[in-house]
Parts: sequence; C-alpha cells; structure tokens
Amino acid sequence: MTKTTRHVAFAAGIGLALTATAGNADVIKVGVVAPFSGPFAVYGQEFRGAIDTWVAQHGKMAGSHEVQFIFKDSGGPNPAAAKSATQELLIRDGVKYLAGYVFTPNALAAAPLASKAHVPTVIWNAATSIITTKSPEFIRTSFTLPQAAMPMADWAIAHGIKSVVIAVSDYGPGIDADKAFAKEFTAKGGTILDEIRMPVNTTDFSPFMQRIKSKAPNALFSFIPAGPPAFSFVKSYSDYGLKAAGIKFLGTGDLVDETELQGIGDAGIGVITAHHYSVAHDSAANKAFLAAFQKAAPNVTPNFAAVGAYDGMRVLYKMIEAGGTDGAKALKSVIGTSWESPRGPVTIDPRTRSLTQNMYIREVVKGADGKLENKEIDTIKDVPDLGLVSK
Amino acid sequence: MRDITGFALMVLAAIVTFYAFPYSLAFTTRVVIMMIFVLSIDLIQGYTGIATLGQAAMYGSGAYAAGLFAVHVSQAPLLGLAVGALAGGGIAFVSSLVLMRAEGLTQLMLTIAVAEVLREVANKFSAFTGGSDGLSGISPAPILGIWDFDFVGKVGYIYAVAVLLAVMVFLKVLTSSPFGLALQGIKDSPARMRAIGTPVMRRRIAAYTISGVIAGIAGALAAQSTALVSLSVYDFQLSAEAIIMLILGGTGRLWGALIGTAIFMSVHEVAASVDPFNWLFIIGALVLAVVYAVPQGLLGLPAELRRLVRRPQ
Repeated sequence: MTKTTRHVAFAAGIGLALTATAGNADVIKVGVVAPFSGPFAVYGQEFRGAIDTWVAQHGKMAGSHEVQFIFKDSGGPNPAAAKSATQELLIRDGVKYLAGYVFTPNALAAAPLASKAHVPTVIWNAATSIITTKSPEFIRTSFTLPQAAMPMADWAIAHGIKSVVIAVSDYGPGIDADKAFAKEFTAKGGTILDEIRMPVNTTDFSPFMQRIKSKAPNALFSFIPAGPPAFSFVKSYSDYGLKAAGIKFLGTGDLVDETELQGIGDAGIGVITAHHYSVAHDSAANKAFLAAFQKAAPNVTPNFAAVGAYDGMRVLYKMIEAGGTDGAKALKSVIGTSWESPRGPVTIDPRTRSLTQNMYIREVVKGADGKLENKEIDTIKDVPDLGLVSK
Repeated sequence: MRDITGFALMVLAAIVTFYAFPYSLAFTTRVVIMMIFVLSIDLIQGYTGIATLGQAAMYGSGAYAAGLFAVHVSQAPLLGLAVGALAGGGIAFVSSLVLMRAEGLTQLMLTIAVAEVLREVANKFSAFTGGSDGLSGISPAPILGIWDFDFVGKVGYIYAVAVLLAVMVFLKVLTSSPFGLALQGIKDSPARMRAIGTPVMRRRIAAYTISGVIAGIAGALAAQSTALVSLSVYDFQLSAEAIIMLILGGTGRLWGALIGTAIFMSVHEVAASVDPFNWLFIIGALVLAVVYAVPQGLLGLPAELRRLVRRPQ
C-alpha cells in the first residue's frame, strides 16, 4: 500500500466509524491491567467484582459515552508483561483510559507510556508513594503504606505503648512500613527495641518470635503481605506466648485482610491494625456496596482491593462523563473532588493525586454472626499520603 | 546451504511479523528477546548436557548491569548490551566453578540456588537496585546516535532482531566448530571425551560462560525495552518457562529454540487475550501434548511422521 492509499483507507475507516456511531453514543474503551491468573488472581477477581458491581448499579453509560472494558493479564510483579500489555492497549485497542495495576513495578513500567500518550490512568492498588510522581496522568484510589503505618504509630503512643519491636517482610512495602512507623514512633518519643526483616516467603516464624519475646516490648508492629505467611505469623504470635505475655500486636490491614481473616481463626482475635477499609465499616454507603457486590460477584469476598477498584470505577465514570476522549479535561474534572466511598469520605488530593481518607484503627473481634471481623475502634480523620506530604 | 535457507526464512519471518502485526511490536520484541534467552539455554542444556533451571541468574544480572549502567554511566544501548554480556558471562564463569563439579539433579538444584541468591542480593541492596519497586530511570539513547526508540516499538523490534541474528550466526559457527563438537561429545559421554584427551571440566566452564554472555545480552535487551528492571528477572518461572519452550521446539537444535519460543509465546498471548482468566489450561494442554506426542520437540515432528508412515512395511 502506498502512503496515499493508506491515508485514504484510514480516512475512510474514520468516516465509516463516524457514520456508524452517529446518533448513537460513542464507545470509550478502558484498559484494565491486573493479575487475572496465577497466585495473585484474587486481585483480578476483586477488580472484576467491583467493575460488575458498579456497572450493575450505574449502567454502561457514563454521561453520553458508552464504556467498554478490555482486560489484560499482567500475572504477578512483571513489568515487562505489564508494559507490553499497556502498550498494546494504547496502540492496538486505542483505549482512552487505563486502570488496574496491582504491583508497584508494573505501575512504574506503565508510567512513561501513560505520560507519552496522555492517557489518564487510575491505579487501583499499587501502594508505593512514588508512583503518582512518575506520571501526571496517574490517579490512585487505594492507599499508601505510610498512610497506614504513621497513624498506627500515633495511636500506639496515645495508648501508652512506649516500646516496640518492628518485624516486617524484607521487601519494598515492608521496608516502607518499617521506616514510616519507626520515624513517627521515635519522633513522638517511643523506643524501637529491634527491627527485624524476615524473608518474604517464609512461613516458619519461630526464631523471630523468640527474639521478639526476649526483648519484651509493649507491642509488636508488623507488615506482611496477605497470604500464607500472614496466616502463620499471626498464629505463631499466639502459639509462642507473645499474646499471653501481653505484647500487643499492631500492624497494617494487609495482615488481617478479609479474604483470609476466617482462616486465621481465633488466634487473630485482638490484633490491632490500621487500614483505610474494613468490610465491617458501619455506613449506608458500605452496606449498599456490600449488598450490590454480593449480588454481582457472589463467589468473591470483597476486601480493600475491591473498594479501591470500586472507587476507581467512580473516578473513571466521572472522568469519561466530563472529558470524553479529552484526557486533560477529564483529569481536571476529578482532581480535588470528594465523595462518600464505602470506606468513608475521600478526596483526591491535588498535591499527590492519591486519596486523602480516614484511617481506621481496627481490632479483630468475633462479630454477632460468630465470624471474625475488623471492628473499627478509632478513626484518624483525613489522612493524606504521608509518604509525600505531611499533614 | 541448509543454514542459509534457515537464515533467509528467519529474516523473512521477522519482516512478515513486522508488517503483519504493526500493533503488537511490544509483544513480538519480547518474543525475540526470549528467543535469545532460550538459545543460551540450548547451548548448555541441548548441546553440552548441563542441567539447568537457573539461567535467570545470568539474564537478571545482565538486566541489572545494563540498567545500572544506563542510570549511572551512559544510556547508549550498545554499550549497555556489552555491559550486560560481561555481567552475564562473569556470573556464569564464577558460578560454573562450583556448578560444573556437580552432576544431574544436584547441578539442577544448585543452578536454582544461584538465581535465588542473586535475587536476594538485589532485594537487599534496594537503595541501589530499587528492590521490589524496580530499577527505574532507564531511557535508552538513540542506537549509534541515529535511531531513536519510538512509541510504537519499531526501532526496538528491529534492534532486537538484529541482535538475535548476530547471536544466531555466532552460535551456528560455534556449534559446528571443533569446540562445539567437543561439547556434543561431552553430552553423549563425558568419560569417553576425557579418555581421548578433552579437558571436560574446562569445556563445560567455557560453554556455561558463553551461554551466560548470551543470557546477559538477552537480559540487557529486556532492561532497555522495558525501561525498568525488577526482581522478577531472577524468577524461577522465567528459567522454567524457557526450558519448556526449548523442549517444545526440540533441544539441541538452534532452530528448535526459535520455533518453540515463537509458538509457546504466541499461544500464551492469544490464549491470554481470548480468556485472560483461564488461559493457563491451554498452555498446560499444549505442553502435555508435545511431551507425549513428540518427545523430540516440534522440530522432531517430520522424523516422527516419517517413522509413522514407514512402520507398515
């Protein structure tokens, strides 16, 4: 094909597309990059559940535009796969918006593409603070670890905890949580007796438990990603007598994520965590969300990932409604806006493009139905992304 | 003559792919990089009989070396490749001094261990490598100062294909040289090779090091095309999938490595985009089918068919 004929064909194609959609709503495509297979597929299920919930409640139309989703499987933390998936969505499928991204490296790999193509991107999960600084197109509807860890430190000080041993998984988010907690805790006059970094995939915590016990702190602060290690960590805490010795267990919400909570069993009772969302959050918005989610995805237990995606869906719809295919206009229309999320009131902070939201201090208790739940015992209002800005 | 036809077909396939899938160049570039990686495994597994499930050690080291070099020294892509090759070769040489003393399963486990150790090192030095957030800040300069990497990925693809061609020519020459023949002899019977005076240990170390250089190049290419290096470059899964691709195409045949990779990754891509939720089943079925029906790999298919036709006589 010569250049001219190609141009003619292209113009004809556009012409056809225009006539085909004239009178009807145009279709705006949204690319969702997330793990839909493999060990992290649970995130993909939460995301799909949230999408189905939102669409069931609000329909396929955002303003005068029909929204269509294209799913791409990124597997686990794999920036190469995430990047080529994103590139294909942009070039071949012509998506006008991107969403998803569970792991930090995956989101970082997509950053230059989103910037270059000027495509607004809603990060539904990845929780390292720096992500939103890597592209002006990024908005995040999840949380960041400093956002949870620092309020936890404040709360501990306020409740008479003076000495802490920190034990975290030895990788990025664990180290972030460690640093944020230690900084805030020592600044407020607390002492850190020991900082322990544990291998990410270990499930044998006996040596660490002995070490923590021998230091006899008021409390233990921990971050471990949801999954089997979190399970056995909480179990060992009670088995090795730390609970009996009166050492309080503090952490971020990942430790007692609702999808795993029932499996942890009674050993988990009394664990205190800071997080942005508890399924047990008592509000009309949350009840409506849970009921709709149950209907849309009956086989999935919603957790913080589902709420991140659900709020992400709201942001996408608002952007599409206001901006259509004009990404810059779309972004402008949502930055700084507030709404009532199932987790509580939230605002997209113009400084960080992450959410300013309440952090809840929750305790694992047995609910009225005999099942474990994260009961909110305290609220720290309007916490911005403390990794990037101070209060 | 056969080789020339092979190369001609390969170049043709690369060109056809370029024009047939203009929107999927990011993916096809990944396939080409994977081909280089699988070739590096073929050299040791297929030709020399060294058991490995840890080739990611060299791939990852190449990727990190090229990435760090790009961030701190120079973004020139060809220099980055050279640094990646050096890192891959260096790691392979050092680790082979231990690995080549073992055989079979022990060797297999040790190769995995090397990759895991390196992964943990990269994780520990997160101030330097970015840890699990990944190493960012790589943005390759134009190749030789002329060709700039474009958004669609045309230049990246051609660049990767050119590197693959160079590696392929090198391996063709290498495997048909006396050195290459010695390697095949070692695979068949190390004892006999030792008896006729071949320094088996040294040959194995040399083969492993060369294979490390090639894996390092593949890793460096991956770092440049993704513009980010994460801990996943040391994944066990990477080494294991590459072995499956090799088996699929046929071990001990260079063209087999290319065909196996192309087919595995294409099926993977198509299946994953048709059904992003259950595509793993299809991959599993494909591998089972090949292992049962054509244990020699897809390149063994013609011979297998011929055998089938002749049998009635």
